[in-house]
Amino acid sequence: MSCISQNVKRVFTGLLIVVSLLFSNSILAADGEAIFKAKCAACHKPIGDLSGPQLKGAKERQAAAGLPADWVYKWVANTTSMVETDPYAKALKAKYGAVMTPFPESQVSKADIDAILDWADKYTPPVPQAAAGGQEEDHSLLYGILTLILAFVIFTLVQVNGSLRKLSDEKDDIRRSEPIPFYRNKSYLMILVLALAALAGYFFMEAAIGTGRQQNYQPEQPIFYSHKVHAGTNQISCLYCHGGAQDSKHANIPSVNICMNCHKGIKEYAKESEALLRADGTPVDGTAEIQKLYKYAGWNADTKTYNPDNNGDGVPDGATEIPWIKIHNLPDHVYFNHSQHVKVGKQQCQTCHGNIQEMPEVYQFSTLSMGWCINCHRTTKVDFYNKADSSGNKFYSIYEKFHNDIKSGKLDSVTVEKIGGTECQKCHY
Amino acid sequence: MKKTFIITAFIITTAVVLISCGSGPRRDTGRIYMPDMAYSRAYETYAQRDSLVFFSDMSNPANWGSKIFYNNQPVTGTIKRGGNAAYALLNDSAGYIASAAIVNPYPPMDKADSTETSRLYNINCGVCHGAGGQANGPVAGKLGGVRDLTSDLVLKLADGTIFHSITYGKNNMGGYASQLNSKQRWLIVQYVRALQRKAAPAATATTAVAAIPAKADTVKTK
Repeated sequence: MSCISQNVKRVFTGLLIVVSLLFSNSILAADGEAIFKAKCAACHKPIGDLSGPQLKGAKERQAAAGLPADWVYKWVANTTSMVETDPYAKALKAKYGAVMTPFPESQVSKADIDAILDWADKYTPPVPQAAAGGQEEDHSLLYGILTLILAFVIFTLVQVNGSLRKLSDEKDDIRRSEPIPFYRNKSYLMILVLALAALAGYFFMEAAIGTGRQQNYQPEQPIFYSHKVHAGTNQISCLYCHGGAQDSKHANIPSVNICMNCHKGIKEYAKESEALLRADGTPVDGTAEIQKLYKYAGWNADTKTYNPDNNGDGVPDGATEIPWIKIHNLPDHVYFNHSQHVKVGKQQCQTCHGNIQEMPEVYQFSTLSMGWCINCHRTTKVDFYNKADSSGNKFYSIYEKFHNDIKSGKLDSVTVEKIGGTECQKCHY
Repeated sequence: MKKTFIITAFIITTAVVLISCGSGPRRDTGRIYMPDMAYSRAYETYAQRDSLVFFSDMSNPANWGSKIFYNNQPVTGTIKRGGNAAYALLNDSAGYIASAAIVNPYPPMDKADSTETSRLYNINCGVCHGAGGQANGPVAGKLGGVRDLTSDLVLKLADGTIFHSITYGKNNMGGYASQLNSKQRWLIVQYVRALQRKAAPAATATTAVAAIPAKADTVKTK
């Protein structure tokens, strides 16, 4: 009996060690990436120039230009003034045309800058999706097989050990009871039952939490509209089509006339452009998808006119609304307002929607769970109006107490939580 | 031995099933606790309506009692608070000519207006016309026939005509009345004028700049 309890103890300790090893890493490194995505991703990429230079190797370039190590801290905080005085900053402006938005230290600290640049230096581009899918599966299969083999080896060794001990016992003439087969061995059965219970519990909890959440939901839309082509390759601003995001609760799916602003002229998807692929890897004929748009719009591409409105319903004959499938859905009991986040809070679209400009087919990037909302409200700092460089948002000037606390040095910064961002009634009423 | 075989087979199948799960795009929404709460029964933006009937004229009693279309135009003759009267000219050649007589009702932009208008210009116009207005935006090459806003032709257009063109569109360009309100459009007219002033010394100094609009024009006339 004592043998069994000892075995059980060992099993528990082993499990504990394995679990703690599994979850402990990869939390620290995420910091730089998170700040990058929230603050820098609109203009910078880790590899390759966007409207700003690539961030990978920024420190090396700085050192190569003979600048002091703290140059980058000064630059991020005072871009507008340094571009007039600093020769290297002048050269940057000449090369990229635009001047970077300054981020004072209250928004992006020196430690943040270090974290971002370190992350960018270590960044390796993800392998294109089609190839990555296969490779990843290969890996997990390999690991699975390896685990099985190792388990089998351990099992065999234990059995061999038992047989050898039996032999040596016989030699020394020690008598023991007949060994029981492994499948009736109580410690083995205990391990199996515990492992299965843990596994079942894990999947049960995952399923329970995941019910009603639609992360990674990626429906097939009536028209294969690639955000990668429009917002990525062609650099069309998100707000060109989803202008509602800055003015109203809803970001708005653009009406067909906004599509036709460009597609009156762009009739086909150029053959030399990058091939369009669905998420499952099947190819898409871009020109045929534009033809679908013409059908919905009631546009005649040959005569370059809209169909006449003979039936008097106010739209060209044959035109119907495009039955886009809504991806991001919040339940009825939650209030979410886009303009509050985009216009007042100055959040980038990518913070919640992920790198839309790299998605051929859009999927839901965030969980949209309450914990996810609250976490962001707890960590996001409010951009108070700053008289010195007239940056920040004047709306927050009503929080006089916080302004005084910051002035007197009592507070370093104010998060959304402090101005009521976690009060129930702000979103549920 | 048979038992051993069964147990091993069971473990291997479970492992294989677990490994092979979770690949491929997620095409379904999954299960939800309370469907009527997650998907509103009340009409919401984007929600599917059971009517495709568009009524532009609710003043006609014949249309009363029909399904409501929430995207209706304001009642004729009404003006939004702080807004302008609806643009009276029609989208035809007579309207285009008449538009030259309309004057910009707004005073010159202050600094805040200018920053905001620059942002709006870059979002809505810069894609084709370019940040400097010289028809070198990222989409200009693909679309073809994009007008250089600093060209002589636009320089000589009246403010009202530029406003008319932004409102209703011109040639390949679509109308922007659905994206920009009347004030924003007028401020963009002012912003275009500012771009022209900025580009004026450069355009006279170099002939290279003039080559770009010439090319764009030939594409259009094709």
